[in-house]
Amino acid sequence: MASYRTKALAVATAAALAATLAACGGGSSNANSNTKGGGTLTYYVRSAYEHTDPQRSYLGVEMTNFSRTVYRGLVAFPISSDPTVATTPVPDLATTTGTSTNNAKTWSYTIKNGVKWQDGKAITCEDFKYGASRVFATDVITGGPNYILTYLDIPTDAKTGLPAYDGPYKKDGQALFDKAITCSGNTITYHFKKPWPDFPEAIAALHMMDPYRADKDQGDKSNYQIFSDGPYELQGGTWSKETGGTFVRNPNYSASTDSPNVRKALPNEIIFKVGQTSEQITDQLVADAGPNKGAVTQQSIPSSKFSQVLGPVASRTVSVTSPYVDYLVLNFNRLKNLKVRQAIAMSTDDTAWVAAGGGPKAYKPATDIVSPLVKGYQANLFPGGSGNPAQAKTLLQSAGVKMPYPLTYTYPSTPTADAQARVLQSAWQAAGFKVTLQGVANSDVYYTNIQQPNQAADLIWAGWGADWPSAITVTAPLFDSRPNLTSKSNGQDYGAYKSDPFNALVDKAQNSSSLTDQTTFLQQADQLLAKDVAYIPLDIPIFYMIHGSEVLNYTNNAASNGYPDLGPIDVASSVK
Amino acid sequence: MFAYVVRRCFTGVIMLVVMSFVTYFLFFASPLDPGKFACGKSCPPALIKQTDKALGFDKPWPVQWKDFAVGVVKGRDYPEDPALRKSAPQLISHCSAPCLGYSQVNLINVTSELKDKIPISASLALVAFLMWIAGGISLGAIAALTKGSIVDRGVVGISLVFYALPTFWMGLFLIEFPAIKWGLVAVPSYTSIADGGVWGWLSNLFLPALTLALFYMAGYVRITRAFVLESMSEDYLRTAKAKGLAPRKILVKHTMRAALTPIVTLAGLDFAGLLGGAIITEQVFNFNGLGKLAVDSIQTFDLPTTLGLVLLLAAFVIVANIIVDILYAVIDPRVRVG
Repeated sequence: MASYRTKALAVATAAALAATLAACGGGSSNANSNTKGGGTLTYYVRSAYEHTDPQRSYLGVEMTNFSRTVYRGLVAFPISSDPTVATTPVPDLATTTGTSTNNAKTWSYTIKNGVKWQDGKAITCEDFKYGASRVFATDVITGGPNYILTYLDIPTDAKTGLPAYDGPYKKDGQALFDKAITCSGNTITYHFKKPWPDFPEAIAALHMMDPYRADKDQGDKSNYQIFSDGPYELQGGTWSKETGGTFVRNPNYSASTDSPNVRKALPNEIIFKVGQTSEQITDQLVADAGPNKGAVTQQSIPSSKFSQVLGPVASRTVSVTSPYVDYLVLNFNRLKNLKVRQAIAMSTDDTAWVAAGGGPKAYKPATDIVSPLVKGYQANLFPGGSGNPAQAKTLLQSAGVKMPYPLTYTYPSTPTADAQARVLQSAWQAAGFKVTLQGVANSDVYYTNIQQPNQAADLIWAGWGADWPSAITVTAPLFDSRPNLTSKSNGQDYGAYKSDPFNALVDKAQNSSSLTDQTTFLQQADQLLAKDVAYIPLDIPIFYMIHGSEVLNYTNNAASNGYPDLGPIDVASSVK
Repeated sequence: MFAYVVRRCFTGVIMLVVMSFVTYFLFFASPLDPGKFACGKSCPPALIKQTDKALGFDKPWPVQWKDFAVGVVKGRDYPEDPALRKSAPQLISHCSAPCLGYSQVNLINVTSELKDKIPISASLALVAFLMWIAGGISLGAIAALTKGSIVDRGVVGISLVFYALPTFWMGLFLIEFPAIKWGLVAVPSYTSIADGGVWGWLSNLFLPALTLALFYMAGYVRITRAFVLESMSEDYLRTAKAKGLAPRKILVKHTMRAALTPIVTLAGLDFAGLLGGAIITEQVFNFNGLGKLAVDSIQTFDLPTTLGLVLLLAAFVIVANIIVDILYAVIDPRVRVG
């Protein structure tokens, strides 16, 4: 993942982007059940969106915003402050959340009657099929989630290692695709080569299976064109990467085909303003003047502005647990001695790490790489806390290594990250390590460095968020050596962790037809990682957000990845 | 003169070719993989390889450079894959000559991308340039004419303060206080003349241009003051004064004309540099000009955009140099180009 920190480090980055699913408690303020809708909501966005094409979008915040406004899927996550409810799919364009057969290898959905595109044409089964087909055009539709390539029942081309179907443009292997996804009237059926018990969660979180109109598809040229099937449409039809866009009512949207639990669509207009810094956005929302009274943002309040958030301003803020987890990876090419790894974990001062990062307004301690309330989370997998350097020193001495034991810790450098690195260094040195800090200023270079098989760092900072609320999108992509480790790159298995028992548990999880079994295997796999000290969880970042005084029904919840949920938000009459 | 300009232009083109070659070389000497950037999260090696192929990064870099050079002369069609263009003609986007490549990050051909940004950076540079030239030269001349007085010391002292303040500080100050806190002006957002009229264009440029102008103006005050004082001590001016020439005429016709020559050189190069984008000011004010694009393209490993910017900026500097040389001859008849 290039996490939120990657985005924070770079003004803009095209590095791997994390779609994340919120595993978080919700926050809300200005609850008002008497809202009537209308008016203009302003939404401040700091960094430019790389894609608005549904099959190419992969940032949690983008997918969330577009889910509530312009892109509808077969299913959706509902508006709820209860994280469990908010991450349980409900029907959207489909009549149900899907019917699975053949041990969750086959999923069928029937599309609702009366659902339309913004030009009034009906949304058909073929539109869904075409949307899914675009993901296979890996030479055109780049950057998006590609899970379907490994799940859909299409043979792999031995020469390229990719599916034998190459998308709707070249159409090689089209018959294979037509067999794997079939349409019968308004019913679409997906045939997978392995069980996908959490398929509804996956397609509620990601837009990869959303419908797409073939006659609107121009490949790259469609990247910033938004053709809506939701309650709003984009004025002018083309999103501006640098300034955003204005969403206005879609006249062909019918609320009767939708649920108020998913979209209330209250403001008449939503203006996305892209490009200002976090500080500028915060200043405008603190000042709370004019249209900013009806404004929200996806940006957390930067720590430099905490002092301005006092009195009545504080009542317009919400703290929400983000869907990310930051963690340390231990490099198995260098740290081969288990006792050394255990001593590092034992002496890691997580409490000081959180404090150095800005305290409880910015972070809370993590005890698992899986975020709380993502299926598979285990609360006490790691002890966390201040660590025990004295005990760690005894353990290190018993490891039979020369002391002080040299360690290099690499991380993406920012003033805050530097301060956090120093407190870790201090605790590790008290346990008998000699620690060299290696901060890397450029986050893109950082992620390239840590993927090098011969990297010299012993400890590596990383961050991750689940793609949908299952540990299958956390531990498997991060520690399964098979898809990650090559002679040229460690992929996302930055520490080159290689364990046959772990991989076997991942296989069992991936072949489970029930979510319960899948979760059990993934928890066992996570316990194995903890036993091997493959990682050390550090923190869960907090989203500390502010909104204008005239914003009503404000909520950040698990369904919206912790960002403002545009489903219920309204603006008061004074800004209408 | 004509032969001189032709000769300089030819040299300029050679320089641009060499620069493009060096940029390609440096890009491919880097360990970063552009395919990995474009591919997205959780991309297995096979998919990264496929993405590299789709972007044309699988070819040897000299071949890519050759394709680029041909595109500059003849134009190009994207996507590069002929099979894809044949099977899906709706995907084709034509990039007319001079085609500077196609940005896979911004999904637009670089020529169009630069065309969109040039008006923003050029507007900012132009307004800032007029502000600092008008302010810097007039205040510098006043300081020189009132040498040793409170006015002189005040102007020089204040200009030193502005010179010492970094542009990011001044930009942040102007946006945080006059715009956000005091609400005297709206938070600037670039508006073209077509969209907002001359007033809309100018009023939105005021704060960012002032940020740049205050910094540059300070330097020009000091330089102008120094050159005017130097000119004023020349014998021919003493002669002019002795012959009873009006002080205003001495200043405008003789003193300033002599002092302007080195200032024109400096101003030409500064203006050309700014045309290439005021990186910090554009970042602070979120003006999506060439400077902001430069930062973004470097951070996102966007070779075609980076290359296009390098060539454009180089072209600005080369052209500015030629213009400055020609202006020299106009201002100072003793100078002859050729």
